[in-house]
Amino acid sequence: MPEPVSTTIGICWLGYAAAQGYARGSSAVSSEARAVRDAVCAVVDLTERSQALFGGKAAAISRLRALANQCAEPGWDSDGACAVSPIAVLLTEGFIRALPDSIPLPEFAPEPDGSLSLDWIQSRNCLFSISLGSNNRLAYAWLDGADKGHAVARFDGDRIPPRIVEGIRAIMGYGNASLRAA
Amino acid sequence: METLPSGLPEHVSDEESLARFLTQSNHFNAVMVRPAALLPNPKNGQTSVFRQGKESPEALWQIGQEQIAGERSLHGVAIFKAKHVREAQLDVAAQEPPPRHANIIGWPSNTSDPELEKAKRKALAIQIAQHAELLRR
Repeated sequence: MPEPVSTTIGICWLGYAAAQGYARGSSAVSSEARAVRDAVCAVVDLTERSQALFGGKAAAISRLRALANQCAEPGWDSDGACAVSPIAVLLTEGFIRALPDSIPLPEFAPEPDGSLSLDWIQSRNCLFSISLGSNNRLAYAWLDGADKGHAVARFDGDRIPPRIVEGIRAIMGYGNASLRAA
Repeated sequence: METLPSGLPEHVSDEESLARFLTQSNHFNAVMVRPAALLPNPKNGQTSVFRQGKESPEALWQIGQEQIAGERSLHGVAIFKAKHVREAQLDVAAQEPPPRHANIIGWPSNTSDPELEKAKRKALAIQIAQHAELLRR
């Protein structure tokens, strides 16, 4: 049985992202491997609960879950909307965790088809919006002055598609934390 | 030109103001009405709106509370012109009852690639949202 302290040191050495990927993706079969995986999961969970280590992402995920609870029943818009899909919530949590730290956190909104919209809004003429629904193909669209477009990209659960990262950066400004959405 | 029970003409003119009632506080922020607020209902592929006509803001709130919100809170209303809908290659069609009701129609809905169609709808919703004014209580 590994010592918790040594596990933690190992995780620090691996890096949080690697540990988080290991915690979710491991197919460990031996008892030792399972023990390590469980310890990593516990540390990942604690890390995400820690504002000090996880920054605004934990708060964003908390807001996301509150929104999903508000829209957990059909008809939340008084107009026949579908309940927000639990798969959409899980995908969105993974997306938030995978966001590079240089990308501002998005605002969330429910969509009538049960998807979740992640919006980066600089102004009413400059915004980027992604939908996460019941599968890993993400619909997104943007407006940047006279430039506009839409597309679909696949999210593997670990890495944000580069086209989306570049699109958000183009809208919000690379690494400009002051533009981070409230 | 035919007149509807509400007294409004059947054709929705380009300069008419349309009201989309917002029952979610997440459907707007300090900058704008968010595109998600304008996406169509998945059951009929249409976005429900009300024609503002010459109604005062107070009368508009009353319509929203009675016809849309019911027991829920009405957080705001997005106001935009029919011409902005048509500039996005969509259309507005009156559909009463209830009085003054209309739908934004013509949203892309090809089922061969649902996510791509969704991306198109988002792009169109963004186009309308950039022109929408938000009224809050």
